[in-house]
Amino acid sequence: MNLLNTGTTINLRISAFLLLFGLISGMFSNPLFAADNIETRGYVISMVHTASYADEQTCPSGTNGSRPDVLIRRVMADGYDREEAIRIINSVRINGGRDDAGKIVGTAITIGGGAAPGGIQSWNGLDFNPANIPGALPDPNAFNAEGRFSFGLNLDGEAGLDSWEHPNTGERGIDNQMWRVLGCWDNYHVNKPVNPYNETIAWDTAVDAMPAWLISISGEDLDQDGEVTVTFDRALNIPLRDAYGSIMSGASFALDTNPRSHNVFAGRIKGRVLTIEPGDFYIQGESQFYPHLRFTNTQLRFELKDDGSLEGHIGGYQPWRDYYHYLSVRGETDGMIDLIGIFYDLKRFADAAPDPATGENTAISSAYFIEAVPAFHVDGEGSLLAESVGAGPKFSGPAVSQYSNQQ
Amino acid sequence: MKQRISRIKQLRATGLLAMMLICLSPNILNAAENNERNGSKKNNKEVTFVRLSSDQYRNAIHDIFGESILVRGNGSSSGVREAGLMAVGERRLTLSASEVESYELLALDIANQVLHPSRRRTLLQCTPQNEKTLDNECAAQFITTVGLHLFRRPLSKNEIDAYVEIARSATESLGDFFFGLQAALVGMMVSPDFLFRIERSVPNPESPSTRQLDTWSRASRLSFFLWDTTPSPALLEAARSGELMFDEGLNQQIERMMTSPRIEDGLRAFFADMLAFDRFDTLDIDSNLYPRFTKNVEDEAREQTLLTIADQLLNKKADYRDLFDSRQTFLTPALAALYGVPIPIRQELGGKVPWVPYEYPENHARVGLLSQVTFLSLFSHPGASSPTLRGKAVREHLLCQIIPPPPPDVDFSLVRDTDNPNFKTVRDRLTEHRNNPTCSGCHTLMDPIGLALEVFDASGVYRTTENGADIDTSGQWAGQDYTDVNELAALLKDDPTLTSCLVHRAYNYGTARASTPTEVQWLNTTHTQLRNEGVRWRELMQRISRNPDFYTVPESSMAEEQ
Repeated sequence: MNLLNTGTTINLRISAFLLLFGLISGMFSNPLFAADNIETRGYVISMVHTASYADEQTCPSGTNGSRPDVLIRRVMADGYDREEAIRIINSVRINGGRDDAGKIVGTAITIGGGAAPGGIQSWNGLDFNPANIPGALPDPNAFNAEGRFSFGLNLDGEAGLDSWEHPNTGERGIDNQMWRVLGCWDNYHVNKPVNPYNETIAWDTAVDAMPAWLISISGEDLDQDGEVTVTFDRALNIPLRDAYGSIMSGASFALDTNPRSHNVFAGRIKGRVLTIEPGDFYIQGESQFYPHLRFTNTQLRFELKDDGSLEGHIGGYQPWRDYYHYLSVRGETDGMIDLIGIFYDLKRFADAAPDPATGENTAISSAYFIEAVPAFHVDGEGSLLAESVGAGPKFSGPAVSQYSNQQ
Repeated sequence: MKQRISRIKQLRATGLLAMMLICLSPNILNAAENNERNGSKKNNKEVTFVRLSSDQYRNAIHDIFGESILVRGNGSSSGVREAGLMAVGERRLTLSASEVESYELLALDIANQVLHPSRRRTLLQCTPQNEKTLDNECAAQFITTVGLHLFRRPLSKNEIDAYVEIARSATESLGDFFFGLQAALVGMMVSPDFLFRIERSVPNPESPSTRQLDTWSRASRLSFFLWDTTPSPALLEAARSGELMFDEGLNQQIERMMTSPRIEDGLRAFFADMLAFDRFDTLDIDSNLYPRFTKNVEDEAREQTLLTIADQLLNKKADYRDLFDSRQTFLTPALAALYGVPIPIRQELGGKVPWVPYEYPENHARVGLLSQVTFLSLFSHPGASSPTLRGKAVREHLLCQIIPPPPPDVDFSLVRDTDNPNFKTVRDRLTEHRNNPTCSGCHTLMDPIGLALEVFDASGVYRTTENGADIDTSGQWAGQDYTDVNELAALLKDDPTLTSCLVHRAYNYGTARASTPTEVQWLNTTHTQLRNEGVRWRELMQRISRNPDFYTVPESSMAEEQ
């Protein structure tokens, strides 16, 4: 159906475009797509950040603090006790940060990542940005998240010792080692409606400049329990904002025909909750912070909200260097983090995809909060691929923090 | 920028501009010029002063000096609406002291751009002997050439001498010939001869007791009517030759102008006036309540309406009535999201707003101009839709009817009480309000039309309920029942008042005055003919432009002069 010529109808036909994708991905074999009575609802992802959950058990020794604490820990990792580390840091403006023996301790002034130019900092007399060579500095041994609860998915079907319990559903075996890495850094140590600050700001920047990320759900009756097909795609256009700065529901998005970011999962809706069969996931970004998001053994749990939006978590085994890339671009200053500490912790807690040569795990179980609002999906000719159903939430996206409670 | 400000200060400091305004005020100019005006001689009389609208000012500057000249601001404040049109109200306006100052600053800025070293050669066809002193001949040549276009008539010798004198004085004070020319140019641009369309009359040779517009005034009337701008060189040449005073020459020019793409400028200006787009200046839809109504949406809504009208009436040569039930329009991504419809995406990052043609499906709730964001938001309150305002707008702006203002001491509290559990919908509240006999007369005329549009909130977003109660869009138009806006549009389209209003408004827009009884008779006959043949824009414009009465000075205007 071409909107230019014939207008739209509520009944959706599967266009040649979607059939092409079906052929590429094996979707064509899904009997759902051979039927005429399929409805497809479209969404645009309005918010993405690592899943966060914090209670009194999460960081029993306290959180990792802010910039001074990072520097103290970093200097202590150089072999100084806490008192001398503080003296060294306090002397930076007086003598460049020297120890009691008069030796300059470069770790006292280093800031890693982001746009910090190497010329303004030095380490042992050399221009140095530690984000570029994190392994050159000693492990500062930051605090890691503990406790019982974390958001996420059970990726391996087991409830091992290192797994969590879902705080809302009580499901055991939640695999989210990423949360162990991040959970005791202050800006991650938050609960809804507060979001991890640095990721909110990063997404706030990216979402206005980067082609949108889309989700569609197809099935016979999406208001009932049943089998569905779930797709993730990249759009050719960026989301619109409303007067609140929320991502506007009901906007139209053209699908990128490049199959690289096309993901199809068999899924099901049960009790207004969407889940999928595990599979690989890749979606290309166009942002310095999000060049892409990718997982293996991907799972999700999205709630279909009454306003038409989706909310929940997607997770899988993510190459840990992808997350380090994001953090190093973002930098330590805004994030109030220690890139060196997180680098060592990502390596330490990585729990999948061992390197055949070294045996070191290259991926880490992780989970991301996702919010998606109703959107129309169209192809390059304007043919309708997915309907926008529902008015969407009043507030959505990164500019506000008025979310409903997480499931 | 510093240099520009400095020049402005220098020019203003000379006191020349104030002097010019005083010296060239209409009364003095009238006495000084009547005996010398080209082509009119002693018999010439000024008929009307019609202030240029902001758009007309901008269009004129761009046509005379080029699109690259930036017109940074508006000299005039908002006008007044009279007989349903701002164009008619412009006839009543004078200039306040602050407006004169605004025009002066605007003129200084424009003159500085026009005579900037990078541009001056394109306009100045002579080179001064010495840039530090006045070149009399070169200045006179510049003033004569530019003056013809600014004043839309040739300047008299006295006028040229007066502006050369200004140039001389400024050149001597500032030591720069081009500063002198700038002063003269500013003087012309703050002159009433530029800021107002001063229409002048001559005796009608076929009926000596009546008067008609002189050749230059005809050119201006025609140009602002059809193109919303100052007369083109071709039209001025036709005026100079006297062709415009005769049917054949006049019709040739009308034909030429009607086939130009610039006819769209005239169409846009007319409908922006008729549909009260001046309300955009004060539109304040509350984005807390209607978050989809962003500033971009507001701007795009305005353009959507004009694009739709231009496409229907000019490109598709559709009947004016079709505007009220057409399903074809143009949308942007933001407008489509507000309307809740999918559109093809032609957006490229960093590109212009991508307009795409769109046709609503059959039985879609949106049909015609009344369901566009422009109409729906312009006639709403900031925080609520208003069936009364929308109904009043249809009556006044589309049907040329007059709804009297509400009587004093009316209790509006119930109408405003949108949270009243006993009156959940505005229909309930207005029904109760109409129980007051002093209110019912007018509200009975206004409310039914607006209630059919209640499925669109103040921002134009579609809805089916208000406070949880279903919205009833039914009503009666001229004794016939309708159930929704689609059916109302069909009834409205068939009502002869709709097309009659257009015909009368278009004429009044062109003349900037109310019609005489003779003209009303002609308009009624024309309306009847067009209604049978099709109310098509070009045909209407052509008939009006060719009507000899369009250039005749009504007796009332002659009486005013005396």
